[in-house]
Amino acid sequence: MSDEQLIKEITAGNDTAFRTLMERYQRQVFRTAMGFVHMKEDAEDITQEVFIRVYQSLHTFQGESEFSTWLYRITVNMSLNFLRRNRKKRVLQSLETLFTLRSDEKNPLEEMESAERDRRIRKAIDTLPERQRMAFILSRYEELPQKKIAAVMNRSEGAVEQLLQRAKENLQKKLSPTIGK
Amino acid sequence: MHREHPIDELIRREKETEPNPFLVTHVMAKIEGAKKMRHSTPLWQSLTLAAGMAAVVFLGISIGNSYVENGTTAVALNINDRQIENLGYYNFGDDEQGQ
Repeated sequence: MSDEQLIKEITAGNDTAFRTLMERYQRQVFRTAMGFVHMKEDAEDITQEVFIRVYQSLHTFQGESEFSTWLYRITVNMSLNFLRRNRKKRVLQSLETLFTLRSDEKNPLEEMESAERDRRIRKAIDTLPERQRMAFILSRYEELPQKKIAAVMNRSEGAVEQLLQRAKENLQKKLSPTIGK
Repeated sequence: MHREHPIDELIRREKETEPNPFLVTHVMAKIEGAKKMRHSTPLWQSLTLAAGMAAVVFLGISIGNSYVENGTTAVALNINDRQIENLGYYNFGDDEQGQ
């Protein structure tokens, strides 16, 4: 069943259709949220919030853009709102993960180095300017083509290309002293 | 041997993370809960309850106002049972005190 048909069913009161829609898109929403928050539990919270919002406002979806574009927009906005709401909590969480990560393949020193490297990369991504970060996450976590990213962000394809180029440069600048290019 | 770039490696690991398999069920339960809350107290029920309470208060005040005292002073005096409840009756007699 196509997205349009499912949406018609949902607006007519068919909750099973909504379940189908959610099963179809939950990984996409979860992955995008992971790009912003880097933590499974937080990404799950955002995914839940996104789908509840979708259910409540599906009747306002005009169908002018693709459903997936509309869904990406909601996910990006809700992820950014989540980050603004939980700024302090997240600083503590990132420190916590540094000390709780365990891997059987590495010795404790390698493990610490790897955790520290991950923390630096996450911080570099998180401190990118908002638009660069959105473009970067949609491009790298979701592997969306520039055309689709442009539609989600309401920008031209050229602007998205520039944002991605700047994001890459910024990340290299932030990470080059410690992490190879 | 090709070595994966640390950024690519982190993104790959994060992308491989799977959400809770019960996530859909949780969301459906939340939506159901919200629906039930909305349907449990419809507006007409709340309005009926409020109107009923207002009617009871109004009725109470009306009944209270309609009460007219129609007793007379004489009757009020008759109610005083001092004369039938003679206090002397309860006093011990002199013959009982000796026992």
